[in-house]
Amino acid sequence: MKFYKKKKQTTNEYIAVSPKDKKYKILNPFGEEVTVNGKKTDIKIFESEEGFTYIVYKNKKYLVEITDKNQNKYTVMINGVSYSFTVESPISYLRKKYLAKHQTKNKVEMVIAPMPGKIIDLLVEENAEIKVGEPVLILEAMKMQNEISSHVGGKVKKIHVKQNDSVAKDDVLIEIEQ
Amino acid sequence: MKIKSLLIANRGEIAVRIDATAKRMGIKTFGIKTQKESNAYYLRVVDEIVDFTDTVEELPEFLDIERIIAAVKSHNIQAIHPGYGFLAESPYFAKRCEEENIIFIGPSASAIYKMGNKTIAKQIATKHKVPLLQGSIGNVKNPQEAIVIADKIGYPVILKAAAGGGGRGMRIVEKASQMEKMFKMATSEAEKAFNDPSVFIEKYVRNPRHIEFQVFGDKFGNFIHLGERECSIQRKHQKLIEESPSSALNDKLRKEMGEAAIRIAQAVDYYSAGTVEFLLDADKNFYFMEMNTRIQVEHPVTEMVTDTDLIELQIRVAQNEKLPLKQKDVQLNGWAIECRINAEDVQGGFSPSIGTIQKIVYPRSKNIRIDTGVIDMSVVTPYYDSMVAKLIVHAETREKALLACVNALKKFWVKGIKTTIPFCIQVLNHKKFKKGDFNTSFIEKEMDQIFHQEEEYEMLAAYVAAFDFAAELENERTTFVNFEQGKNISPWVLNKRIRSI
Repeated sequence: MKFYKKKKQTTNEYIAVSPKDKKYKILNPFGEEVTVNGKKTDIKIFESEEGFTYIVYKNKKYLVEITDKNQNKYTVMINGVSYSFTVESPISYLRKKYLAKHQTKNKVEMVIAPMPGKIIDLLVEENAEIKVGEPVLILEAMKMQNEISSHVGGKVKKIHVKQNDSVAKDDVLIEIEQ
Repeated sequence: MKIKSLLIANRGEIAVRIDATAKRMGIKTFGIKTQKESNAYYLRVVDEIVDFTDTVEELPEFLDIERIIAAVKSHNIQAIHPGYGFLAESPYFAKRCEEENIIFIGPSASAIYKMGNKTIAKQIATKHKVPLLQGSIGNVKNPQEAIVIADKIGYPVILKAAAGGGGRGMRIVEKASQMEKMFKMATSEAEKAFNDPSVFIEKYVRNPRHIEFQVFGDKFGNFIHLGERECSIQRKHQKLIEESPSSALNDKLRKEMGEAAIRIAQAVDYYSAGTVEFLLDADKNFYFMEMNTRIQVEHPVTEMVTDTDLIELQIRVAQNEKLPLKQKDVQLNGWAIECRINAEDVQGGFSPSIGTIQKIVYPRSKNIRIDTGVIDMSVVTPYYDSMVAKLIVHAETREKALLACVNALKKFWVKGIKTTIPFCIQVLNHKKFKKGDFNTSFIEKEMDQIFHQEEEYEMLAAYVAAFDFAAELENERTTFVNFEQGKNISPWVLNKRIRSI
């Protein structure tokens, strides 16, 4: 097992923001001493012989995997539990906050297919008002019928699928106007 | 007559499991290679492969009776073990095997038929004084008829696939207004899963425990039971954690239920392994649910506490041997727990997590057993069920078994897909579960948090994201061209590259 010695000292600061707006200010991610929200920590990253990546923190091991990344959007799994973040620099973070403040609210959210499968039934129609968590359709995968519910409330703007359609993971199923 | 060759008409962990015992008994094993999973692990363990990849039939390979029988004939194989699911409980398949002089490792076609038909099974239970729940006599034709019956026996009721099992084609109906929708879902699921849309209706017991008895018979009229399995940790009727024995039973109740289970088996001249499922209500009344005429997913917990090999017993009974055990020889030693490691995203409502298992390592210890159908780089496809492995832990007491199981789960590392491991840890750590105080509604009612996480996880994840992001930025600054198109390069590789520039 190898320990990757961290690179030269930099003074780079990064802000990882969770979907619930929880902020982690990380100073010197490559440094010998990493600072998270002003506190010095002893986080170290290793790669095991079998090819796993893990963190050692306060003498405990944690299995780590980056499961998704798209520009500055990350999904990271720690011991099998996923966390999402947007990573910003201090400047981009300020700009994002400014934009959020000055943006109009009316936005369209997508209900996407969480897995590949077949559409068994549609439970809503276009223009219907739906609540958060309301089931919108039934998707069959792995021989199970799964109720797919909306993560937002609003008006069904457009339905992209019909009964018996096969869909791939991440296909847009329904658009909802908030 | 000893069986010398065996076709395992199944896949995944159970194919590997059956192969292990068959090999130990000196039996040559055959596995079915399908196009959907042509690189699966079970194909590496079997002695020979029966290739079904050349043509793609409409019917799934493991359900294609005539194709399987033709393959057995052409390869000169003596016996078939169907595993669980697929053709394991098809009386027609068992009958075709009988007709073709192929040894079917399981009960007779007639026993499968009688127990598979819920109406006949219930009549048998009534006749042999095994308690039952009220419900429809036979199948229900439409939602209107279902409403009439439900009004009579009282809500809530449950709709169940007549040919069912494994939780598919089951829907609970709380009030008449839900009936139409639920009826539609139950019948369409039943049609898909079992090729038979018929459903029946039954009084639904709220918050029961699911207790099942492992029974065994031979072809000479000998019967034993091998104690119970507690399978109350279920989600949508899919079992997730099982144990043996059950903390809900004492010796007296165990004897009573075990004898009831044997009466059912006797009534159909049962031989081979079977499971009689009961519901146990809060007042410890038990009701016969159904008999599964196959080896079950959770059979290892029974094997651990009774020190038996149920697949071996199945094979021996199939080759006309007498059961080597009498009831008095069956002792339950210690406690065994099984966790199903499914490729599912618990945080995403247990949705299937499809993909490649890049790495998998198992915890090891003498009291740990792993039944697995995967290795590094195995692909979890959407074609089959989501279970990839089972972790079984055995200890002297329940308390010790729970502790050892949590520790084992923490050493069970998987990369590439999400699994039910964080869920299992959360259940095993739950106060009420530890006390043995739980029932089938445990997940919905008692678990505010359905997966285990610790306070520092989120911070650590934030750190990893920032680390990777910083590495990528550094990468851009040094104008490093990434020829591998980036996406899955780990930050440590990048970090190494940065240093090497």
